Amino acid sequence: MYEEFLEDIAQTNRLREVNTYLKLIAGTGAILLCLLSSSYLPPLFIALVLSGAILFLARIDAKTYGELFLVPFTFAVMSVAVIILLSGGGEVYWSWSPLPWLSLSLTSESINEGFFVFCRVIGGMSALIFIALTTPMTDLFVVMRQCRVPEVVLDLAMMIYRSIFMIMDQLVQIYQAQVMRLGYGSFRESIQSFSTLCGAVFIGSWSAGEDLIHAMDARCYEGKFAVLGETRPIEMLPLMTVALFLGLSSLVVFLARDLTLLGGGP
Amino acid sequence: MSSIILEARDIRYHYPRGMEAIRGISFHIRRGEKIAIVGPNGAGKSTLLLLFNGMIRPDEGMMLFDNEPLRYDKASLRTLRKRVGFVLQNPDRQIIAPTVFQDVAFGPVNLGYSESEVKHAVEGALRYVGLEGFERRPPHQLSGGEKKRVAIAGVLSMDPDVLIIDEPTSGLDPSGSEDIMELLDELNSQGKTIIISTHDIELAYPWADRAILLLKGKILQEDVPDVAFGSPDCVRKAHLSMPTLLELYFELQKRGFFLPERKPRTVLDMLNVIDRAFRNRPCYTEPGSIMVFNVDSGGFKTFESWLQEHPDLPVGAMGTRAKQLARDHQIHMDFTYGVIDKCILKALLGENSAIVTTESMVRRVSERVEAFGKENDLFIDVSFFDASTT
Repeated sequence: MYEEFLEDIAQTNRLREVNTYLKLIAGTGAILLCLLSSSYLPPLFIALVLSGAILFLARIDAKTYGELFLVPFTFAVMSVAVIILLSGGGEVYWSWSPLPWLSLSLTSESINEGFFVFCRVIGGMSALIFIALTTPMTDLFVVMRQCRVPEVVLDLAMMIYRSIFMIMDQLVQIYQAQVMRLGYGSFRESIQSFSTLCGAVFIGSWSAGEDLIHAMDARCYEGKFAVLGETRPIEMLPLMTVALFLGLSSLVVFLARDLTLLGGGP
Repeated sequence: MSSIILEARDIRYHYPRGMEAIRGISFHIRRGEKIAIVGPNGAGKSTLLLLFNGMIRPDEGMMLFDNEPLRYDKASLRTLRKRVGFVLQNPDRQIIAPTVFQDVAFGPVNLGYSESEVKHAVEGALRYVGLEGFERRPPHQLSGGEKKRVAIAGVLSMDPDVLIIDEPTSGLDPSGSEDIMELLDELNSQGKTIIISTHDIELAYPWADRAILLLKGKILQEDVPDVAFGSPDCVRKAHLSMPTLLELYFELQKRGFFLPERKPRTVLDMLNVIDRAFRNRPCYTEPGSIMVFNVDSGGFKTFESWLQEHPDLPVGAMGTRAKQLARDHQIHMDFTYGVIDKCILKALLGENSAIVTTESMVRRVSERVEAFGKENDLFIDVSFFDASTT
């Protein structure tokens, strides 16, 4: 199978051995700071630092990271364009009213606002991707368990996690088999093939579910599932790094509270 | 002979609305035996295996474990399944949990072991199958052979008396298959009864103590492998082929060569047969000697430096843990399976060799070499590496 999952990258990243809580605190802390910030600069700072951490500390391949970022990036660009064109205020640089009830304009305020939102998105996304790339799901299960997530939910989550990869595997195999026999040649055929693909995978996962029950029964299943390992100990260096990062970011948030791209108070 | 652990008395089973899968089977399995259930696809092998640990219940007849009829209430089934471990053919279907540790711990946790006991059981099982350090890996990242090992470890962690393995080598590469078969040998030498189903006759032939040939839900033949696989009629009926070595033996016999009574099970045996057929002494040269190093006795450093003094010495590693250690110490291994035989072959050529192995397997080496020597009237020296004297 040649699909690479985010999870697989996370399993092998260089920050894997760092305590899960530290990574989560760094990530969620960064998101919160992005939301608290009233200026465009702190989110950019956070994005820069976290991207550096992802590329140089976790040693994630730059191309992979770029590709990951591309989707939210294009989405952000499109939404920000709308914000800039629709909102107003401040000095007007350009405006156009194609319809009586619709006017598009570029003003200093709208550019400020748009750029601010854009930076926030970038900062938040880098924090989210940081968590996704450095903390595999298996480690999150441990944290969820320690945070008293109900056992039923956790057991289900773990079984789903395991099944995703199996079903994905099946999906890819059936899809390849279809392609090899020219299954997606025309539009009609594509629809036909896709429906059989869905059917086959559904039946496959159904029987996998039955096998799962058998497998669990054969190993004396009695309603217990969630044994988990421990989290890694908190080490001094990562702790200091995270504290430094969050401290510095807070400082930037505080110092840059009145800063806007084109000047002029909010 | 030792006591009977599993017994079937005229069992019949048919799937709901399906045809009869098992049509009157009786046999018994003794403690510590290695059994291969062989048959073509759809012969009922898997169904038969499922009857052993009570996953399905026979329509007629009786299954006995430890001379007691199986009972199918929940509590008895649990006890049974703890003692009769079952490894499914497809490890993907057997591995349930998101990490290796959790999966291997599944059985012990459900048996109500304490946390430290669970940890101990899991560590032991993983060490046994040579997967130390894989605890936190998710199963979908493992190779086929590693998955199979995880599946076996998941059952081993419950410390069963009987180990049932459906198609242990399906989907594995040849060296992976040999590794698994050796692991099964190792487990067997620890006293576990092992039952496998397979249609790989070449693999089952040298390995099994007894083979059961299954065809259309009935036992076609049940005997030691060279008899079970030795009848061309049976083998053809069962849609199987005769093991190459056995076929070669019969062909030589047909050509009027005088051959020893015992059928060859390995290349070494075969070589012996050929040597005898041509009425030669098995070797002209003085046989070489075999040095055995027990990794549990310590002194790996000394052994390494001793190896450096003997650079061209072929080295074999036997047992999962020994192989692991040898790999860790970057010792070049010339043989990793069929090690004893290969070293005897070397000795017959007048060359020396060394075997790295674990405590439990040391005795096997001297026994095998001695037995071979007695049979062929020659002496191969087996010495044990002692770190303190060398």
